[in-house]
Order: sequence, then C-alpha cells, then structure tokens
Amino acid sequence: MLRIRGLVKRYDRTRADAFAVRDVALDVGAGEFFTLLGPSGCGKTTTLRCVAGLETPDEGEIRIGESVVFSGAQGRVMPVARRDIAMVFQSYAIWPHMTVAANVRFPLEAIGIRGAAAERRVAEALEMVGLGAFRDRPAPLLSGGQQQRVALARAIVKGASLLLLDEPLSNLDARLREQMRVELRDLQRRVGTTFVYVTHDQEEALALSDRVAVMRDGRVVEMGSPHDLYLRPRTAFAARFVGQADLLACTAARPEGGLLLLHTALGPVLSACFPDAPGPRLSLLVRPEHIEFAEEAASGPNLVAGRIARTVFSGRLVEYVVALDSGASLRVQGTSGRLRAEGDAVRLRLPPERCVVVEGLPEDAE
Amino acid sequence: MRAPLAARAYRLAPSLLMGALLVWLVAIPLAFLVLASLRPTGFPLDAGLTFDHYAEVYGSPGLWRLIGNSVVFALGSVAIALLLGGGLAWLVERTDLPGAGAVRALVILPMATPPLLMAIGWSMLLSPRAGALNLLLRDLLGLAEPPFNAYSMPAMVFVQGLSLTATAFLFLAPAFRNMDPSLEEAALASGASGWMLARRVLVPLLSPALLAAAVFLLIVGFVVFEIPGTLGMPARIFVLSSQLFYLASEAPGGLPLYGQVSALATLLLVVLLGFGLLYRRLTREAARFRTVTGKGFRPRRMALGAWRWPALGFACAYFLLAVGMPVGMLAWMSLMPYQVPPSVAALALATLENHRDFLDSPRVFEAAANTMLVAAVSATAVAILATLIAWFVVRLRVPGAAVLDALAFMPVAIPGVMMGVALIYVYLTLDPIIAIYGTVWILVVAYTTDYLSFGTRATGGVMAQLHPELEEAGRTSGAGASRVLRRITLPLMWPAIAAVWIWVLAHAMRELSIALMLQGRDNRVATTLLWDWWQGGEPTRAAAVGVWLVGALLVVMVAWQLLGSRLRRGSG
Ligand SMILES: Nc1ncnc2c1ncn2[C@@H]1O[C@H](COP(=O)(O)OP(=O)(O)OP(=O)(O)O)[C@@H](O)[C@H]1O
Ligand SMILES: [Mg+2]
Repeated sequence: MLRIRGLVKRYDRTRADAFAVRDVALDVGAGEFFTLLGPSGCGKTTTLRCVAGLETPDEGEIRIGESVVFSGAQGRVMPVARRDIAMVFQSYAIWPHMTVAANVRFPLEAIGIRGAAAERRVAEALEMVGLGAFRDRPAPLLSGGQQQRVALARAIVKGASLLLLDEPLSNLDARLREQMRVELRDLQRRVGTTFVYVTHDQEEALALSDRVAVMRDGRVVEMGSPHDLYLRPRTAFAARFVGQADLLACTAARPEGGLLLLHTALGPVLSACFPDAPGPRLSLLVRPEHIEFAEEAASGPNLVAGRIARTVFSGRLVEYVVALDSGASLRVQGTSGRLRAEGDAVRLRLPPERCVVVEGLPEDAE
Repeated sequence: MRAPLAARAYRLAPSLLMGALLVWLVAIPLAFLVLASLRPTGFPLDAGLTFDHYAEVYGSPGLWRLIGNSVVFALGSVAIALLLGGGLAWLVERTDLPGAGAVRALVILPMATPPLLMAIGWSMLLSPRAGALNLLLRDLLGLAEPPFNAYSMPAMVFVQGLSLTATAFLFLAPAFRNMDPSLEEAALASGASGWMLARRVLVPLLSPALLAAAVFLLIVGFVVFEIPGTLGMPARIFVLSSQLFYLASEAPGGLPLYGQVSALATLLLVVLLGFGLLYRRLTREAARFRTVTGKGFRPRRMALGAWRWPALGFACAYFLLAVGMPVGMLAWMSLMPYQVPPSVAALALATLENHRDFLDSPRVFEAAANTMLVAAVSATAVAILATLIAWFVVRLRVPGAAVLDALAFMPVAIPGVMMGVALIYVYLTLDPIIAIYGTVWILVVAYTTDYLSFGTRATGGVMAQLHPELEEAGRTSGAGASRVLRRITLPLMWPAIAAVWIWVLAHAMRELSIALMLQGRDNRVATTLLWDWWQGGEPTRAAAVGVWLVGALLVVMVAWQLLGSRLRRGSG
C-alpha cells in the first residue's frame, strides 16, 4: 500500500549533517495499522509530511498504492491534492469559520462530490465518530475530544486509501486518550483503511498497531509487531524505548544446549533469545515484570541472590530495587499480593526465554 | 534533485511578479530620486553628472540649523507623545482609573483628527495676533503681550506631540495589558518597593515595546509635513520635510529646485531607512519573546486612591487639548463669516454660509469625489497586495521572500514630500507612455505604495498567527491551492483585511503632503482644497471643509474600531 525507499530530507542544506530523515525505507500493507514511534525530533512528523506531500524530500521514492507520488531520481512530485490520502493533524486544524458538517463536507467538495450524495456521506462519517447530533454546531464550540472526532470524520469521509495521523491524541487528557485509543482502533477495523500513525507514546503504539517502526535521529532502527518489539527486540534502543528495561553489558561465552551462555555483571546467565550472529557490543535485557522471586531451596540456572534495597508501592504493583551480592542491582516488579520489606534477603530467577540479548551497549540506548 | 525548468519557473513566478511590482512601486522612484540629485538639471534622465547639488545643500550655512530644528522637533514631539501616551496607557490598563473603558474607546477621536486640522485649530487658538486663547489669556491676566505664539518651535513640538500621542497609546497599551502580573507579584513578594518594582521589573519588561514605539514615532517625527508646514513655515522655521516642500514648490526663483530636493532627500532617506531597519529588528525580537500561553490572567490594577480624580482630569485634559479645543475652534470658525474669536456677542454673526458654500461648490464636490475615489481604490489595492505579499512571505516562503518583505516595508521611511517628488520624476518622464501625471491615478499609486508597509505588517502578523495546519488540512483534503486560499485562508483573514482597508481609507483621506506635491489640474482632494483656502486667507471656508472631513473620518474610524474588536473576539 505504502512503499518508501531511501527517503532523505534535510531542512538545512548548508549543513551536511542536518538530516531530519535519512535513508528511511518502509513497507506498509493494505489495511494495516502502522505506527512510527520515536523520541521527540527523530523525524516522525517529517516522514509523514513527506508522504502527504506537505514537504518535498531531497531523495528517495514514495509509492502510494500503484502510483509513484515522489521520485527523486525521476524528479517527480505529485501535488498534495492528487494523492490518495487524508490526514489528521496534531492541532486538529478544524476550520473555525465553518460548522461541523461544513468541515466534513469540504473534502467531498474538493473532489467534486456535491448534493445528496455528499450529505449522505457526511452523515455517515459523523455517525461513525458519534457526532451525528452535532452537525450544525459551529466548529469552535466543541470540546477538545469532539474536535478530534470532527478531524477524524473529515479524514475518513472521502474514503482515501491511506490515512495519516500525526499524534492525534496528544492534546487530550489521559482518560479521554484511553477512550479515543479504543475508538480509533475500532474505527480502523470498520473502515479497513491503511493507517500510518505517529506517536512518541510507546503504550499507545503497542496498544494500537499491527506493526511499529522505532525511529531515532531520522533513521528507522527497528520494525516489528508490538509483541516482537516488546519481548524480542533486537536493539538496545528499541528495547528501552518500548518499555521499562534493565540493560546490562554482556559478552557471549558459548552455546549451551540451544541456549547462549553470557558473562554479565550478575555472573553467568543463560539466554534463550539471541541474535544468530551476535556483534561485539551486546547487552542483556531483562524487564522488571519478567523476573521471578525464587524459593530459598530452588536450584537451576539464572539464579541470583541479593537484598531489597528500596521499594516503591503504587497500589496494584510494587517495584523493588534489589542490590545483588555480585554488586549489581536489578529492578523487579511484584504484585501487592505478597509484600517484601526493605532489607529482606531474596533470590531471583531470570527465565532464560525472557533474557534477551540485544545489539548495542546500555549507554547506546540513552 | 533538480526540478525541471518549467517547474522551477512556476515556483519562481510569484516572487518575480510581485518583486517586479514592488521594484516598480518602491525602488524605481527612489532610484530616480538619487539619479536626479546627480544631474545638473535635476531631472533623472537628462544628461550630465554633477555633485553641485550636494555641494549646494551640504555646504549651505543653514544646513546645521535645519538638521538641528529637525532633531529638536522629532525628539521633542516623540518625548511628549511617549510621556502622554505611556501615561494614558498605564492609567487605562493597570490602574483603577474611573471610566478607563471610555478613555480606551475615545482614543479614536484624536485618530480621526488629521494633523493638518489640529495645526490649523491650534493656530486659530494661539496665533500671536488673533489667537482666541491668546487674546482671552491676555485680557484675563492683564498682560501687555499675548502669552503664546503658535508659529514657533515650542508650539510645533507641542502640537505634534499631541498628534502622536494616540499612536503611542496604541503601541503601549497592549504591552501594559499583556504583561504577566505574576512577574510583578514575584518582585513584590521578594520585598521590592514600588519604585524598585518600576525600575527593575516594569521598565525592563516594557523596554522592547517602548523602544519599538520610540523608533517608529521618530520615523514619523522626521517624515511629517502637516504641522511643520502649517505652524513652522509662516515663521520660516524649517525642518527637513518642510524644507523639501519649500524647495520643490515655493523656492525663491519660482522654479522648483529638484536637484537640491533630491540631494537633501537622499540624506534623509539614508537616515530613515536606518531607523526602519532598527524598527524591524526590534519588533522581530519582540515577536520572538511573545509566547501565547493561553493562560488567562487578570492584570494587577493599582489603586490610585486620592489620585483617581486628578488622573481622570489628566486624561480629559489630553482629549481637550488634542481634539476638543482645536476641533471646537474649527467648528466655531466654520460658522463665522470671518475669523472672530468665540464669544457670546459673536454668536449673532453665526451663519451657515461656509457650509452651504461647501455643499454647493462644484469644486468642493469634485474634491470630495476625488478623495473618496482615491481613498477607496488605494485601500483596495493595499488590501489585495498586502494579503498576497503576506501569503507569499509568511506562508509560501517563496524564494526571495525577505527581499519582498523589505521592499514592502521601505515606504514607511519615505516622507510624503519625497514620495511626491520621486513620482513626479517617474511619471513626468513616462508621461508619453503612462499618462497619469496630474490625475487621481498618480495619487492612487502614491498612496498604495506609502501604506503598503502598514498593510503588509498587519496582514503578515495575522497570517503568522494562523496555524499552518489549517491550510494543510485543506490541501490533504484534496483541495488545490486556489480553493484553499478562497475557502480557508481568505475567510479566516477577512477581519484583518477589512481592518487594513479601513485604516488605509482613513489615512488616504487625511493625507496632505503627497497630494500637495502631486497636485495637478484634475486631482484636487479635500486636504489640498483645505490647504489652499487656509493658505489663501480663507480660514473660515477651510474650517468648514475641515469639519466635514473630521465627520467623515470619525465614521470610518468607528467602523475600524468595531472591526478590530470583532477581530480580537474572533481570535480569542
Ligand atoms: N520546518 C523545519 N525547519 C527546520 N528544521 C525542522 C523543521 N521541521 C522539523 N525540523 C527538524 O527536523 C527534525 C525532525 O523533526 P520532526 O518534526 O520530524 O520530529 P518528530 O519526530 O515529529 O518530533 P515530535 O515528536 O517532537 O513531533 C528535528 O530535529 C527538527 O528540529
Ligand atoms: Mg512531530
């Protein structure tokens, strides 16, 4: 559906290193909910705007469906208005001088659909976002959440095959954001359009997407399903960006019965999840919620002993910082079902299938 | 990537077309002006090259007097304007002045009083022989001589200061209003006294606005002609702008000394463009610091206590001096058969003769029609050009946007007399091709150029505040550039465009110096008619024209005010 190759965009042509986007390649399938995730300034918006045609890239090729909308090599730039896209902006960009219905009708007028057919589609789109009753309201007299829905209705009304969304939920408060998240996902299922979604909120990205691309400094560092990104990331940066993580520098020692033996600050650790050809700079990823408290008498691989140094109680969950006998420390998440006190001696088990070897040292993930 | 030639030409077309138009309107006249200063005949396209005009002008013994006068006049009037305007702005915005809202609304009154009329009104009040106020004070105080002289530097500074006060107020009131009170509160909470608060917090916070206002007013102070022309020239007190006028139209030999005019204008131009650059730099910095937080705050209002009524008295005194007395005097004179000071006895003389004369005379009708035509067409042209330039510069960021912006800004620093002379050169030279010399259309060209700087600043400011995503949403909806402009940009900009239109209308209606320089057989306007009658010794007929002009301007200014408040409400 969307195919990007070798995309390069520089805002400052006088400086050779001032890239907003460098060498991005993406493939998004039809009907997919695809998310660009990354820290502020990493080039997500720029990528999206290049697809929309609001920015002209310096190099590369962008294809939407069957049509090449941009090609640096052939010097081709398709005007924004002719691209088969619709876009939802971070500021909503609801036109304040029009009513709700007029806002939603505008894209239809622009492509020449008028009269009863247009009215029907406007009504459908408004119904779809739950604003059927608001059609004649002047747009400025809506709440933030309602404006967001108008923006969505305006984007889906003309039935473009690619919908681009730039942090559409970031201006809403936390509760409304959760609610809209669910609605957005439902909406995408119902209309079946391909969504390319931009966010810097990893929870949002994981909850919504079929696939996520993690960006950093204008590059895509890793791409995969939410499940893979969280449980089996390949890079230290993505591992830390998509969730809480303890990263420890490690070196691969030798394979042991299908597992990989690692030297770490914790001592030897067995991992069931490692790259086929590990490079020289590696880290061990363990997420706090995957670490188990082991019985006193337990035996087996990946057992470490220590004392609870600090506890943070937040109701449902309790976070412990465990100072290990080896001198390192680990964060461990437990439930409030069994509370432990600071100073308690504990033994921890790191399940080998949740000990993930990622490329890059811990400091590379900063 | 290299775009194909056609695509690049398409991209460059707006810059080139608008650039050519601006060069034609702004740069060519100035180039002609400089060229003329180097020609022996004083005409730009004649042969020869000489520095004689420069030697004549800059070697003349009176030059330092002239420069000294100009500086004293400009600095003095700006100081008065900042003091009065700043004081009023502070009283209205930051204290519990009774009737602050009314004061804010009434500021349009001085705006509707052309400086020319203010000067004429004050010369009727303070002329040494027949000034009504002078005679009154002389009799009341038993003096041998009338105490004041309207035809003197102090009087010129005083009247010009009054006339600039409303502009100073408009500059400073928003600065007082938008000052975050938590900054003041923080200073008070840390134990600062009132004086320390003013010196260490308020003045530094206000200084960008103060400085910008001062530089802008200084430009105006060097450019204005009406008041130095009315009050200074009879006593042979010249400043740069009136000297230019004198050399160009009333020089002793009877022939205009265009070469000298151009040589003198070139110096003034350099100084004023320097000020213009400074002003742009200052306001750009100020815009960078302006952050709209969207957090509503109520400014702290200082309790004036026992000073409330004296403060209100100060505000009233200003309106009385700037509007009440001069316009009242005009109204009185317009009812008199000849110049009589107001008194109960003189009421018996009252007649509507001047007004009847005004309404009947075909000459007046022609002048009024010309005024409306010129004002309306220039206002429309400025509104269209300013919108397009703002769109090109702020939104499309076309190649060369900075040049377009600078060209459109330059006219603010060109005195009307100079603009007039420059246009005489251009259109006298081109008369065989573009025959607009001596017609109303040359006035349209002049006003369009002159007010373009105001227009682009206003539309550019509003366009910069329009979130670009509003237009981008239109484009990603499938609309082409012209539909986006028509359906989204223009409707959102509409109040600002209308406000520019009305502002230019009002200013074109009251403009004197350009109209005077370009006066020909067919383009007499209200202000030149007024000037002629005033200079020709028919003050009461001039007064009648003035009263009607003030009335018309008042209507226009009220419309502007209403639009402005709608605009503020719309964006808030
Ligand atoms: N118009 C512009 N001119 C110059 N530099 C720009 C412009 N727009 C973006 N940049 C720069 O390009 C880089 C990428 O910006 P981009 O807006 O794509 O980031 P982003 O990932 O969307 O960040 P955020 O999450 O903060 O929105 C940034 O370093 C930014 O400063
Ligand atoms: Mg962004």
